[in-house]
Amino acid sequence: MNPYVLSILLMGLGLGTTVTFASSHWLLAWMGLEMNTLAILPLMAQHHHPRAVEAATKYFLIQSAAAATILFASSTNAWLSGQWDIQHITHPLPTVMITIALSLKLGLAPLHAWLPEVVQGLDLTTGLVLSTWQKLAPFALLLQISPEIPLLITSLGLISMLAGGWGGLNHTQLRKVLAYSSVAHLGWMMVVMQFSTSLTALALLMYVIMTTSAFLTFKLLKSTDMNSLAMSWAKTPSVTALAPMMLLSLGGLPPLSGFLPKWLIIQELTKQELGLVATVAALSALLSLFFYLRVCYCLTFTSSPNNLAGVAPWRLESKQISLPLATSTSLSILLLPISPAILSLTLPLF
Amino acid sequence: MTLTHYAFSSSYFMSFLGLIFYRKHLLSALLCLEAMMLILFISLCLWGLILASTVFSAGPMILLAFSACEASAGLALLVAMARTHGTDRLKNLSLLRC
Repeated sequence: MNPYVLSILLMGLGLGTTVTFASSHWLLAWMGLEMNTLAILPLMAQHHHPRAVEAATKYFLIQSAAAATILFASSTNAWLSGQWDIQHITHPLPTVMITIALSLKLGLAPLHAWLPEVVQGLDLTTGLVLSTWQKLAPFALLLQISPEIPLLITSLGLISMLAGGWGGLNHTQLRKVLAYSSVAHLGWMMVVMQFSTSLTALALLMYVIMTTSAFLTFKLLKSTDMNSLAMSWAKTPSVTALAPMMLLSLGGLPPLSGFLPKWLIIQELTKQELGLVATVAALSALLSLFFYLRVCYCLTFTSSPNNLAGVAPWRLESKQISLPLATSTSLSILLLPISPAILSLTLPLF
Repeated sequence: MTLTHYAFSSSYFMSFLGLIFYRKHLLSALLCLEAMMLILFISLCLWGLILASTVFSAGPMILLAFSACEASAGLALLVAMARTHGTDRLKNLSLLRC
């Protein structure tokens, strides 16, 4: 893409999230969300092949409908209470509508059906931006509104965890697997939101780090398919050794850093007398762990003398800058021992 | 709920249902999206008039500017879809299922 156009689009993406973070008026928050949508559409459709255009069209329709519903709910609240402040939504109907519209924007179940198809149609870099950066602005709005109906938030979270786990089970395309893992992680973030917004922010931060590492790993290995992961031992043995650790961190296994948000969320749920929710959450993590383990299996256990699932690739020198991958993989594996430091940094902030 | 509030709430829901349940063409979905934005514009104008408050007078114009940008992005995607898929029929949007 033309570098001037690319820089304008990336600056638009940054500006949109910044505007939503800094806003206290619903119209300004809506403007930031619209800027994010408009800026990422050319990035999605830049390759002009049918899958990219289809993904961009579906993404556009979903995000515009959700943003219009957010604006309608906030104008309903303005009619009923006379003010447009984000943190002072008084009536329960606009709160519920805004929560549902924001969960459509994020891709929470049961409104998650667009996410796997859209992520599948994109290249890995744009999929990374979609899965990480585009989740920040709606979460900034969700963390500020006080939930009127706790049952809605908890059930959105539980259904997301189960739908993300079960939905990702029978896929071979890596982008769809990552989309369902995103749905499951968003469920974990939602379920604790009414009790501790700082734990939601911590879970979001860990999810961003781990998903960045996953997308950058698959981009380095140039694989979008589980079969093509089988030859990664020939391309970069070090990545083949570390990527299973990163995937198990996504699954939430101790002693990796993905365990930290899950542990604290289950602890908070138990303190709030929601033991059944905590049990269902812990069991649904097993579903996601299964498909992460399947990706690990394709990475590591399919080398000789077993049958190879992939075709031997040309071993060309990779021109990808390796610093983001190295940083995010190290962070997603090694952060658990310094968790008191991380908690002291994040918990007072929210 | 006053009559005005009921009027624009029900018209918004009608257009939203039109967006959700569109049948054949992508263009009808874009039209319903534009109708939703227009209803929101009218509701913002009426809010300032009925509450007799001038502090938010620039709001409808800002909404109109952004909804025009969004409409043009939707039309550009319609043209792109006509180039890649051949039509704007929705049954053709099935490449990403598998």
